[in-house]
Amino acid sequence: MLALQLLVTGLVTGCALGVVAISFSLVYATTKIFHVAHAGIYTMGGYLAWSLMAWHMPLLLAFLVPVVACTVLGALMQSQLYARLARRRATHLVVLIASLGTLAVIQNIIAAVYTPNILQFPLDWSSRMVAFGPVRLNWTQLLTIVVSVAAYAGTMWFAHRTILGKRIRAVASNPTLADITRLQPQTVYIYVIAIASALVSLPGILVPLDLGLQPYNGVTPLLTATIAMIAGGVGSITGAFVLSVAIAVLQNLSLLVMPGEWSIGVTFFVFVIFMLFRPTGLFAAAR
Amino acid sequence: MRRVYTGMATLLAGLIAACTAVKAETIRFGGILPLTGPGALIGTAEMRGVQFAVDQANAKGGVRGNQIEVQFEDNQAKPDQSILSFNKLTDLQHVSVIFTGYSGPTLAMAPLATRKKVLLVNAGAQADGLAKASPYLINTLPTIGGEIEVISRWAVGVAGRDDYLKSFAEAGGTIVAQEASQFGQTDFRPALLKIADAKPDVMLVVITAGLLQMAQEYKQLDLKFTVAGTTFFADPSTIADPSSTGFVHTQLRIDAPPDLAAQFKAKYDTDMEFFAKQYYNAAQIILATLDKVLADNKPVTGETMHDALFEIRKFQGLIPLEFKTNTASVPMDINEMRDGKDVLLKEIKLQ
Repeated sequence: MLALQLLVTGLVTGCALGVVAISFSLVYATTKIFHVAHAGIYTMGGYLAWSLMAWHMPLLLAFLVPVVACTVLGALMQSQLYARLARRRATHLVVLIASLGTLAVIQNIIAAVYTPNILQFPLDWSSRMVAFGPVRLNWTQLLTIVVSVAAYAGTMWFAHRTILGKRIRAVASNPTLADITRLQPQTVYIYVIAIASALVSLPGILVPLDLGLQPYNGVTPLLTATIAMIAGGVGSITGAFVLSVAIAVLQNLSLLVMPGEWSIGVTFFVFVIFMLFRPTGLFAAAR
Repeated sequence: MRRVYTGMATLLAGLIAACTAVKAETIRFGGILPLTGPGALIGTAEMRGVQFAVDQANAKGGVRGNQIEVQFEDNQAKPDQSILSFNKLTDLQHVSVIFTGYSGPTLAMAPLATRKKVLLVNAGAQADGLAKASPYLINTLPTIGGEIEVISRWAVGVAGRDDYLKSFAEAGGTIVAQEASQFGQTDFRPALLKIADAKPDVMLVVITAGLLQMAQEYKQLDLKFTVAGTTFFADPSTIADPSSTGFVHTQLRIDAPPDLAAQFKAKYDTDMEFFAKQYYNAAQIILATLDKVLADNKPVTGETMHDALFEIRKFQGLIPLEFKTNTASVPMDINEMRDGKDVLLKEIKLQ
């Protein structure tokens, strides 16, 4: 009974993490930018949704407007920050520091505007429970699973079935050749970060809907998602998603045999060992 | 001749007045609190509590004619930043007393306070290690262990974690499960599920953030055991939420008279909440101690302030409070959250 509930709780957490991982993977595999400010966009999505709900905006709009806003913010980051740095031939380290700085600015603005306190969404239905036999989930958790799986499927379809998706994969595969063949990598980078920002805003809204908002709560999911991306194979959407779910489920199930304070350490130790034997990641060949 | 005497008398009076003027100086204390970052909300309330008390004293003419000034430093609740601020305040500003909060920063500064003989005043942090961290660290509220002793006795008749294990066992309870949580954590479901699986009668919770989320997740999982906690449970949003009904906790008794609370609200446009009251009370203790040091014609140093505080020992500020050790004994209640209110179950007298 306990194992089943832990498994399902892990699945919910893993699905949300999976969307963070596939969005980060899209950015990193294509632009090679370690886009830490992605955590800021994740956080901002939730706060925007919270503000709109507090202003009694219709629910659907309160979800959609932050997604659009995050998309625009992501595109601006690429066009106004990363692209400028690229033109000045900034090193990866400089770009990383710029990204870290952007994250700090976003977090501090949020903390200044909304206070560092944990905020809750003013919604009654989100915490209503649904029982599936011995397993109990609230509506937000169910919505998280549905939206996350849809986001994964949508991303797979987009990457493999659309012209822009194929163009992104081509740029990710060989930016120099893509530049020669006029695929315009810098424009593609803007699209990629915009799409990834829209994607990451989904768990950015859904997770706080269940667990509350905090200005600094984007970094931990991003770090876990980064590990999932690497373990899954950089560039593999399926790898990033599956490994995120696996990490979250493992962390939850490990509670059956060890105290909670050990679960993160032991789970990542397992992944370190795994990486020793398969350093390119589990799904490296399945891009 | 009479004119000479009159002139000398005038000169003497002038000299006395001049000496008095020299003596009446500004006495500077320090405050090292988180004024930015995740701890800023509480840190700002603590700063306001101290400043409010000092402003009141200064408005009445100061302490024995001396104006008081508190220089605040922002430590962002970080131990390393606290050390830098401590050295700045003691080496450059030569302060004898520093108000502090949060366990990590206070524990980091405690050895320096011992070495430099600077009085550290904590009115907000409750880690058990604070009780014996330094002879120059005074705590105006009990440690978590002190509160847990009280709730344990209640928990078995219905209790930092190590003290719970000890106190609860001493009171006749058995520990069936324990889980750790991190600061800022809001997903308590896995830990709650594991604890529920051990079928406890009571679960003691010691968290300083995320209590409302924990309460809601407890309710969503339809758990039935009693949830007990310490003063940190006195979070208005948690008390108001129906999911916390039945939660039991110890509560340090500290109330501000209505006129004082109104003045505070008028000045800062916010209610005088727990931490503001605690630090207002702590500042009153330090001002009373300073009064004794000045009355005894002693220099104002960390050492003289420390000795005077233990000579006075009993203080009557917002709460009656006694320093038998570095950690004050204070009156405490046991409350139960019921239908959006925090209801008194039992009063515990000053120990």
